[in-house]
Amino acid sequence: MDDEIILETKNLKKSFGKFQALRNVNLKLHKGEVLGFIGPNGAGKSTTIRVILGLIKATGGSAAVFGKDVWKDSVAVHKNLSYVPGDVYLWPNLTGGQTIDLLLHMSGQKHTTKTDDLIKEFKLDTSKKNRTYSKGNRQKVALIAAFSTAVSLYIFDEPTSGLDPLNEVIFQHHIAELKKNGKSILLSSHILSEVEKMCDTIAIIREGNVIETGSLESMQHLTRNTVAVRTKEPLDELQKIDGVYQLKFSDSARTTAEFSADSDQIGNIMTLLSAKIILQLKTTPPTLEDLFLRYYQSADEQKGGE
Amino acid sequence: MTQYTQTFTLLKANLKRDWLKMTIWLIVLVGMFVAVAAKFKSIYGTTKQVSAIAQTLKSQAMVSLFGPLTTNHLNTAIIFAVEMMVFWGIFIVIFNFSLSVGITRGQEESGLTEMVLGGHPVGRLAPLAAACLELVIANSVFVIATGAGMMAANMPESDENGNWLFAITLGAVGLSFGLISLIFAQLVADSHNVTIYNYAFFGITYLVRMMTDVSNPDYTWLSPFGWIEKADIYTKNNWLPVILLLGLGIIGFAVAVLLNGNRDIDSGIIQVRGGKRTSRFLRGSGTLLFWNQKTSSLFWIIGMAVLGASYGSVFNSISKIANDSPVVRQVLGQNGMRHLEQNQILSFVSILGVIFSVLAVVGGAMVTSHLYTEERQGYLQIISTKPQSRSKLLAAYMAYGFVLSVIILFAALIATMEAGNSVLRQPLAFKYFWQIFIAMLPILALFTGILVALIGFVPKWRAAVWVALGGSFVISYFGRLIDLPAWAMKLSPFYWFRKVPLEHIDVVPVTWMTGIALVMLVLGFVGYNRRDIES
Ligand SMILES: Nc1ncnc2c1ncn2[C@@H]1O[C@H](COP(=O)(O)OP(=O)(O)OP(=O)(O)O)[C@@H](O)[C@H]1O
Ligand SMILES: [Mg+2]
Repeated sequence: MDDEIILETKNLKKSFGKFQALRNVNLKLHKGEVLGFIGPNGAGKSTTIRVILGLIKATGGSAAVFGKDVWKDSVAVHKNLSYVPGDVYLWPNLTGGQTIDLLLHMSGQKHTTKTDDLIKEFKLDTSKKNRTYSKGNRQKVALIAAFSTAVSLYIFDEPTSGLDPLNEVIFQHHIAELKKNGKSILLSSHILSEVEKMCDTIAIIREGNVIETGSLESMQHLTRNTVAVRTKEPLDELQKIDGVYQLKFSDSARTTAEFSADSDQIGNIMTLLSAKIILQLKTTPPTLEDLFLRYYQSADEQKGGE
Repeated sequence: MTQYTQTFTLLKANLKRDWLKMTIWLIVLVGMFVAVAAKFKSIYGTTKQVSAIAQTLKSQAMVSLFGPLTTNHLNTAIIFAVEMMVFWGIFIVIFNFSLSVGITRGQEESGLTEMVLGGHPVGRLAPLAAACLELVIANSVFVIATGAGMMAANMPESDENGNWLFAITLGAVGLSFGLISLIFAQLVADSHNVTIYNYAFFGITYLVRMMTDVSNPDYTWLSPFGWIEKADIYTKNNWLPVILLLGLGIIGFAVAVLLNGNRDIDSGIIQVRGGKRTSRFLRGSGTLLFWNQKTSSLFWIIGMAVLGASYGSVFNSISKIANDSPVVRQVLGQNGMRHLEQNQILSFVSILGVIFSVLAVVGGAMVTSHLYTEERQGYLQIISTKPQSRSKLLAAYMAYGFVLSVIILFAALIATMEAGNSVLRQPLAFKYFWQIFIAMLPILALFTGILVALIGFVPKWRAAVWVALGGSFVISYFGRLIDLPAWAMKLSPFYWFRKVPLEHIDVVPVTWMTGIALVMLVLGFVGYNRRDIES
């Protein structure tokens, strides 16, 4: 990762009539970084991406790619960017192969051996008309064109929603390769394991606000680990100590327990556990899914409490 | 019968979607029809007025446009029937085509049918049956409203039988063509192609009707569209055409049902073949547009050339002077007769210029407005993120549409000239056609400008260009026959060049029309660069 900023949005806002789709979106993508963009349906991921692509005009805040304004300098920005939408619609009368070549030519690129390799790898029959392709195959067309386009920024909006697991692996492999070559990637996805595996930084958006940004580790640090423990002596004192939640004993002797623990209290908790003589211990950091659910649940609770 | 399960649920949903479109069409179609009928007395109420218009209608030029007069005992009502039948027939067929394409393949393309058929207990033939019922409803409403309106209008010499037969004949021709369109909806790949087949079929029936009318009206029975003339409203009041049309419609629906069993959803029976794996040709929005549009553009150009040639091939009949008598011949002399004949053809060519231009605008504007259709369908989402400006994209669609309309117009005029000169003893000079061609260019530009401005600012209202075009056409094609006031005639851009090629092109309207066109274009580009790209 580099310090050079490829993409930055500041307090980005977008309204459709009275409806505020984006309230406050702050994103930063550095050179060589993979930014995962997650959030529930209708949170504003696609809207943010469409603003960044200069397809729709922000109603407030700013968005810049390569230091240029995404709306005013859209042509210059597009020279060095490639985009794959989640729902790919292609001209029904073109074949897949013709579409790939068209998209390459429009970006000033050529059909290279790399393109042929990608076609083989994704197992796409490029002689078929787009109208006969399945959703996944249309997505492959767009992905092949994007991966064989040499630019510095790649933007994917739920690119794997139609791909089978095998093709998803191929996709992940190519993302890793782009990253190795110092390319920057913005990836919006609902497949959290995918984001967890591939992204350096994660931004979570909810109701038009980016509510959390950072690496997975830093987010995990902010939240609780799951601890499963078996000790020789009863663990009653766990009920009193700070930073322990959802404590559950699974035996009457109270020597086997499962609970979640605040990361910053883990020291105290371990001291207590050691005093009870640990027989078995397993701690699991929260998965992105845990984090995700937690953010929404806590947000909903907050809302409920309002 | 399980195949038809839930037809009525579907019908209700379709009607909910289409009611606005149907209402607007019906109000315009019925409203204008009845309004003209009510006003007719003041235009052609006296015997003198009737015999004056009879002279015009007897000329072969008018026969080719409106059909023949079948009786010598003319009166107000008969004049009305002759002037309105073919004209309204065209409109109601267009209305039915637009409805039927929308409820069949249009719906499938939006994915609605699949959701309905796949996820709900709906019979496989239910969508087709619902489409048929919707057409029946639309045309029945037309018939009832028109029939009742005609009774209320109480035109002199009209009678109850004739009024209802008139309304029912129009409804029947609409229904019949709408149901035939269901056949094409089963055959071809998408709604765009269904439209092409529809109009090809309609075009052929229209041309057969036109050519047989001027040569031998007995053969007009060959064309389903010609049948409507055979109803002889207010003279013989013949119900046979209605029976024939309804029979044809039933056959159309039956064939569609048979074909429907053999096709998959959102595809036609005619299978889509694969194609090339690579392309050197496709390099940008311009080449892409050409690639996507080339077939239908060619279709337009050839179709319009055929239309032109068909009109041209009847020029010898058209040149015949209606009140040809020895006295007239003597007064005018050989040269005078020739001159009169030539003027008669030239004023007909002038009318043809208007018809061809309207169709040319339709052909071109369909391409240009595709820019917004593709935007809505999501085809532009990847293209718009390529390093090409929006102005370039809009310019490509605008230029293609405009140039296509120019070529269409030129092809139609040249074909008219070639065919016309092959049958005329005294050929018409190229310059006449050239003058019409030049005079129509500002009009083509004007409509292109209006459309581009709409796409740039209020794309949802782009259909306004069709209203403007349709209005201009009705005014200039029809305005004289129903004696519209001068200010209303001036609203149509065609009005300003109505005397070309008999007179020279007036520079003033050329200037302001081109000026308005340019302003509209600039506005359109500014708007298109500012607005959000949808979906
Ligand atoms: N053109 C538009 N007009 C009006 N509202 C819109 C428009 N586009 C998006 N919205 C609204 O903005 C909100 C954000 O939509 P967006 O597509 O960005 O969500 P998303 O995060 O991509 O959701 P998903 O995960 O379902 O793809 C939604 O409530 C949507 O209904
Ligand atoms: Mg989305």
